[in-house]
Amino acid sequence: MKHHIFYLLIAAFCTASCDNLIRNPQGAVVDERDTMTSAPPETVPQQQEETAMNDSDPHPDLIGFWVGYFLNAADDDYYEKSVYGDEGLSWGRENKINISIDEIHQGRVKGHSVVAGNNRPFAGTMTQEGNQFIFEVAEPGDDRYDGRFSFHIQKNDDKLTGTWNAYKKIDIPTRKYELQKKRFQYDPELMLEPSRRYGDWGKAKKTAIEDEEEREAFGDFYVQFEAATDKVYEVNASTTLLTKKDVENLKKGDLLIIRNTIYARHGYSFKNRPLRVFFDAQPWYIPVHTDIRSDFTELEKKNIELLLRYEKNAKVYYDTFGRG
Amino acid sequence: MNTRHYYQWGGKVLLYGVLFFFIYLMVLITIQYIPIDYEAAFLALKQDEIQLTHYRVAFFTHVYSSIFVLLLGAFQFSGIIRRHYSLIHKAFGKAYVALILLFAAPSGLIMGYYGNGGFYAQAAFCLLSALWFLFTLKAFLAIRARRIQVHQNFMILSYALTLSAISLRLFKWLIANTLALPPMDTYKIVVWLGWIFNLAVALLLIKAKQRV
Repeated sequence: MKHHIFYLLIAAFCTASCDNLIRNPQGAVVDERDTMTSAPPETVPQQQEETAMNDSDPHPDLIGFWVGYFLNAADDDYYEKSVYGDEGLSWGRENKINISIDEIHQGRVKGHSVVAGNNRPFAGTMTQEGNQFIFEVAEPGDDRYDGRFSFHIQKNDDKLTGTWNAYKKIDIPTRKYELQKKRFQYDPELMLEPSRRYGDWGKAKKTAIEDEEEREAFGDFYVQFEAATDKVYEVNASTTLLTKKDVENLKKGDLLIIRNTIYARHGYSFKNRPLRVFFDAQPWYIPVHTDIRSDFTELEKKNIELLLRYEKNAKVYYDTFGRG
Repeated sequence: MNTRHYYQWGGKVLLYGVLFFFIYLMVLITIQYIPIDYEAAFLALKQDEIQLTHYRVAFFTHVYSSIFVLLLGAFQFSGIIRRHYSLIHKAFGKAYVALILLFAAPSGLIMGYYGNGGFYAQAAFCLLSALWFLFTLKAFLAIRARRIQVHQNFMILSYALTLSAISLRLFKWLIANTLALPPMDTYKIVVWLGWIFNLAVALLLIKAKQRV
């Protein structure tokens, strides 16, 4: 009798779903819609990146990209609002912002800002006080994260300093920033510099769920990531056509970073938080676009497809009972 | 039934339980390729090879035949079946031998030639399928000549190599979840370890059997 029960138990064990032993169910890789190689670009034209220098413009030095960190202005809750990963990885919720001043005409200013995958227009006024240009500009207000910028630029200086205040009650309602004047040009030769480790944000998951503001905007992007290795400093997927041999021994994290470095070179503003934090720390990186689908070279498209293929396989099969 | 018998019985049930559990996992892996899909699972990384007709034929022949080889072989070592249901043993045995010699081993050789991981890994797979063919053929010829002892020994060797389908994947799972080596490094280890380990266990078993 005992033996029959034993058999029954084994039978029950075997018919229970063992599918997750041979493949990971959450096999989706981070592949944002606006970086897909197959999808056609949206018909809505992109904001002009860098408005052509207008000779009649009285302030050509002011027009262009101003880039730097968009910091939490409230110093007292810095630690409380920070996000912590493992092995000392922490992030104070600062994002790289690109404030683009597109047009100044008779004291009227038009521009846009790109930060954390969000491209928002602004408009307002510029006044001159001695050697200082003072800007007061506002975002339209139809986005939850819209607000008002006030900043100033010293004459003949490449520094822009200011603050930002949200219209709505959001998690971090005030920001401060000190930005540098930068020019953006796609350069396939750009390589990662060892400035910030790309690490496993899995342990920060709890913080992400509590963080209602970010979640509403971008969804829950906390995925358990492999840490990346030094391989990410060696492989350039924008200049070299990668083969199977180049990618077959790379782990998930490396494949992810090598693929996303292509996007970073094109100035893609990352919605995914761990990727954003990693690329923001690259000195050359400037967030310029929120949609780069029409910007890839043919070589990059091929590499992206190859890398994605291996990444998906690694995600689904790397640590399971199976061959892959 | 005395205690010793009880433990023997329990040990066997456990062994068969583990074996059938892993065969079940292999069934799940096989199901991924039904219906025929050139993008499924392992094939996602074999896009160049799957364009070749002979590779395609070899791959699906191997996948669909090997699962039955694994399953049929599992019943052949049972003394109860051999003694009381010898017709089943013979029928299963013939199917096992035919599937390996005509389908699984030759297709394995073709796949091995195109294996991932370069010459080092390809050599392991080609050698594996050659030995698999050889041991199975030897076992078959031995039983035709009524040399039961030799038949048994070669069948132990043959099924040990059949089980490398499971051990290879088990070693890979172990390495990925402990050392977490890069995928191709892991692969190059398990393509050899996966069947050399089994072969060593089989040889020890044969030796122990002869001593009794």
